[in-house]
Amino acid sequence: MSLAQSARIARRELRGGLRGFKVFLACLALGVAAIAAVGLVRESLSGGLMREGATMLGGDAELRFTYRAAGEAEQGWMAERATRVSEIVDFRSMARAGENTALTQVKGVDDIYPLYGEIRLEPAMPLDQALAGADGLPGAVMDPSLMAQLELEVGDTFELGTASYYLAAALTLEPDAAGSGFSLGPRTLLYRADLEGSGLLAPGTLFETNYRLALPQGTDLAAMREEALSQFSDSGARWRDSRNGAPGLNRFVDRISAFLVLVGLAGLAVGGVGVSAAVRAYLERKTPVIAVLKTLGASRRTILWAYLIQIGALSALGIAVGLALGAAAVLALAPVLEARLPLPTEFTFYPGPLAEAALYGALTALIFTLWPVSRAEEIRPAQLFRALSDTRRHLPRPLVILLTLALAALLVGAAAFFSGLWTLTIWAALGVCFALLLLLAAAAGIRRLSRRLSRARWVRGWPALRLALGSVGGPGQEASAVVLSLGLGLSVLAAVGQVSSNMRTAIQGDLPEVAPSFFFIDIQPDQIGPFLTRLDEDPQVNRVDTAPMLRGVITRINGQPATEVAPDHWVVRGDRGLTYAAAQPERVSVSEGEWWPEDYTGPPLMSFAAEEAAEIGLEIGDEITVNVLGREITATIASFREVDFSTMGINFVMTFNAAALQGAPHSHIATVYAEAEAEPAILRDVAQTWPNITGIGVREAIGRVAGLLEGIAAAITYGALASLVTGGVVLIGAAAAGQPAREFEAAVLKTLGAVRGRVLAYLVLRAALLGLAAGVVAIVAGGLAGWGVTTFVMEGDYSFEPVSAVAIVSGGVLATLIAGLGFALRPLSMPPARVLRSAE
Amino acid sequence: MTDPILSLNDVTFTLDGNAGKVNILKGISLDVAKGETLGLIGPSGSGKSSLLMLMGGLDTATSGTVTALGHDLTAMGEDALARFRLEHMGVVFQSFHLIGTMTALENVATPLELAGMSDAYERAKAELAAVGLGDRADHYPSQMSGGEQQRVALARAIAPRPDILLADEPTGNLDAATGDAVTDLLFDLSEKRGATLVLVTHSRQLAARCGRVVRLADGLISPEAKAEAAE
Repeated sequence: MSLAQSARIARRELRGGLRGFKVFLACLALGVAAIAAVGLVRESLSGGLMREGATMLGGDAELRFTYRAAGEAEQGWMAERATRVSEIVDFRSMARAGENTALTQVKGVDDIYPLYGEIRLEPAMPLDQALAGADGLPGAVMDPSLMAQLELEVGDTFELGTASYYLAAALTLEPDAAGSGFSLGPRTLLYRADLEGSGLLAPGTLFETNYRLALPQGTDLAAMREEALSQFSDSGARWRDSRNGAPGLNRFVDRISAFLVLVGLAGLAVGGVGVSAAVRAYLERKTPVIAVLKTLGASRRTILWAYLIQIGALSALGIAVGLALGAAAVLALAPVLEARLPLPTEFTFYPGPLAEAALYGALTALIFTLWPVSRAEEIRPAQLFRALSDTRRHLPRPLVILLTLALAALLVGAAAFFSGLWTLTIWAALGVCFALLLLLAAAAGIRRLSRRLSRARWVRGWPALRLALGSVGGPGQEASAVVLSLGLGLSVLAAVGQVSSNMRTAIQGDLPEVAPSFFFIDIQPDQIGPFLTRLDEDPQVNRVDTAPMLRGVITRINGQPATEVAPDHWVVRGDRGLTYAAAQPERVSVSEGEWWPEDYTGPPLMSFAAEEAAEIGLEIGDEITVNVLGREITATIASFREVDFSTMGINFVMTFNAAALQGAPHSHIATVYAEAEAEPAILRDVAQTWPNITGIGVREAIGRVAGLLEGIAAAITYGALASLVTGGVVLIGAAAAGQPAREFEAAVLKTLGAVRGRVLAYLVLRAALLGLAAGVVAIVAGGLAGWGVTTFVMEGDYSFEPVSAVAIVSGGVLATLIAGLGFALRPLSMPPARVLRSAE
Repeated sequence: MTDPILSLNDVTFTLDGNAGKVNILKGISLDVAKGETLGLIGPSGSGKSSLLMLMGGLDTATSGTVTALGHDLTAMGEDALARFRLEHMGVVFQSFHLIGTMTALENVATPLELAGMSDAYERAKAELAAVGLGDRADHYPSQMSGGEQQRVALARAIAPRPDILLADEPTGNLDAATGDAVTDLLFDLSEKRGATLVLVTHSRQLAARCGRVVRLADGLISPEAKAEAAE
């Protein structure tokens, strides 16, 4: 027979409609929809970031300097090329109003800010009018959350450093906010010129100067970047342009989307279990048809193709529905997402992510159906005349196994390629395979255990429990399907729950025990003495550490550009804090090399953080060139130090010998460890005595970071919930498939004298046992995955989190109970005779 | 006739089918005496099985009354009917209707457990031995032949010592030899236990073994059967 004949058989078979394929279609459609939706949101964000690149950056290009303004040569270069240049300073400070103080990120702008985009104030007014000030004071605008912290109203005055400002309006939209990245304090915006005399931009103060350039149309940004970097990168200048206005955000969006796609793929695997079960059930029903076709002369090949074509057609339908569903959901929710996301978006039709989702859907459908479909060709005509259950339990042909493995490898490869996260994708795939194997083993184990328990003496006399155990442990595939589908869905959720709770514990639970109360920055050399005296006199202050601090950019490593030696390492990505010390500080432990003598005045030496040095591949004796305040200093690595950044104490990647940096203008940084109740008074005192010193509350900062991470965790949890919904569909499908069996059992039990309460107890116990089994397995699989991610990906300490685990088991039990009971109502209410007669 | 153990008075039974209402029983009145063996015969669709189901309280008559051991089954709720069956009735079906997830022993022990008997399993074992399946106690229905399954079903029905044993074409799915063996068991056991036996059958041979035969046709007891019943 030809393929055409197979197709004809397939077409005739499909005339029966989609009966029995609802779960198949729902599983595939849901999985594809979730991945398509994530992809579309990612593209919309990327599209938005691309479109708004210049607005978010605040210019077509930006040159950024740490600690200083551009020099004459740099200013000249910019003026020559740009049609307009806007100069902005950006730094942290303390805003004060009466007794209240709060950390703020100050932006000092010029009169052409913003070059692109629109600033929005409340009450509405032009920015220049707001910043013009009133009552003889310069004007400023503030983020409403900062106004609330300081209990300020429009028209009030506040202080920054030693200067006072008139609060002219609330800043409700700052066009270049997203491009500025994560900040610890809400924004205060004023004229750069009005900062003169505030004492906030003294030499050594931590500030950045950003030059936003409006460029003539058609400027070759890539060429201009090359030119700028070749001329100024050694002087510490950094470049960004509108092609990627918010690189951090872009990277962030990409990473989160990649994680979500991986979670989505796990959801698709859950759906695959349902797809596989549906195909198996379909072929069970079709056994007589296949046997008849074979009796009539159809070859194995014809049968195989006939059913592959059917499953293929249904898969195409499921994928199409999934794509439509995903796209419709995103487009329908676009206004809500646009309003909720703090980023520009461009919601439109993107074929890329839809194609990606379709590919994943098609591969998943093939992987999970090839095996059961290959069994169709093994059906023998003789099976028309006798029971079939035990005749087809062996493995499929080696070719089918190989093909399935190849398709699985292709799926993982595609996911890794599209996400760009090869290692994580492979681990995630291995995790899903491991979870599936664990669940398969668990399902077999649970069935065997239930069977044994159902025969145990103590169960006798508890017919409902014995029936439930016997039903779970007896012949049939339903128990395995439920444990697999619900178990895998719950495993994904459990893993996410374990990872996010460990992350939360790491941030909120463990760190504050060892972390300081405050970081104080911008302490001028003449202030460090009185500052320490104030704190030493305070009995509630337990410890104060200080260090001189400068910032610098690593430009070269052994004479080679640093970005070429360690292209992606965070240490060379931006400017880093630097310090100097004569003697080896008390808490510093040198792991390799030697600390310089206290009176060393020779060529510059450096002690480098050991772990980061190993990552970059540095060795003792290597030369590191750092640009500090526009001056290049090349130091030789004399030692490596153990630095534990998780203590949140004063930690620098690089410590120079004192003579190398002492002469440069710099400030000091201090960490203060104090009793919690003393914290407000310390902050208030320091802010009022030394207005230029900025205090950063560690608890507050941790709160902001935790808030950001909570958001990420929530997004991933939603992704995991999508896979649980798929698991729910499979569960409902399994419950629906099992309904005739439940109706039959209920009817027989009622015939034998069981009252409805007893039948209900049996059905409830049966569902609860399955849910409990799935939940317990999910905790083991999720716990292992959580341990793996926490230990190896996040490099943190893992501890089992029982609350989410208990919630997951309860959820599993509840879900199976609801599905089980939903399908129990009919069996309970039907007269036994009708059920039994229809089973004749 | 002494006080009947089963009494049907003008019973009708109508089902709602896809093609509209189907009147299956159109007014049946019949008494069955204690210890009697009654055969219900008639062509397919005459309402025999429905009548048997109504006798067992497995379905509810549309009108009329069904009384068993003095209890009006038509006035009882589903749970009361289940309890009544537990105490007084055993049912054997043409398709055996064993629970596939239970072994033979568990199937037989189930009604005994439901009755709260502490020695349910010992009794079940004895019942299985009585039907010649003592060595198949741990087998699942799918591992047994049709005849074996029907013997398990018979053991299950007879185990709680019912007053009334209802059998719906008990040999309908069995070959002649196996059918005969099951029939022998059915009659022997019901006789030994003193149960009243009502069975539905197409087999004249089987019907001939009953003390009385009632013929149904088109939802009614046929006239000759009425005359037979009146004698």
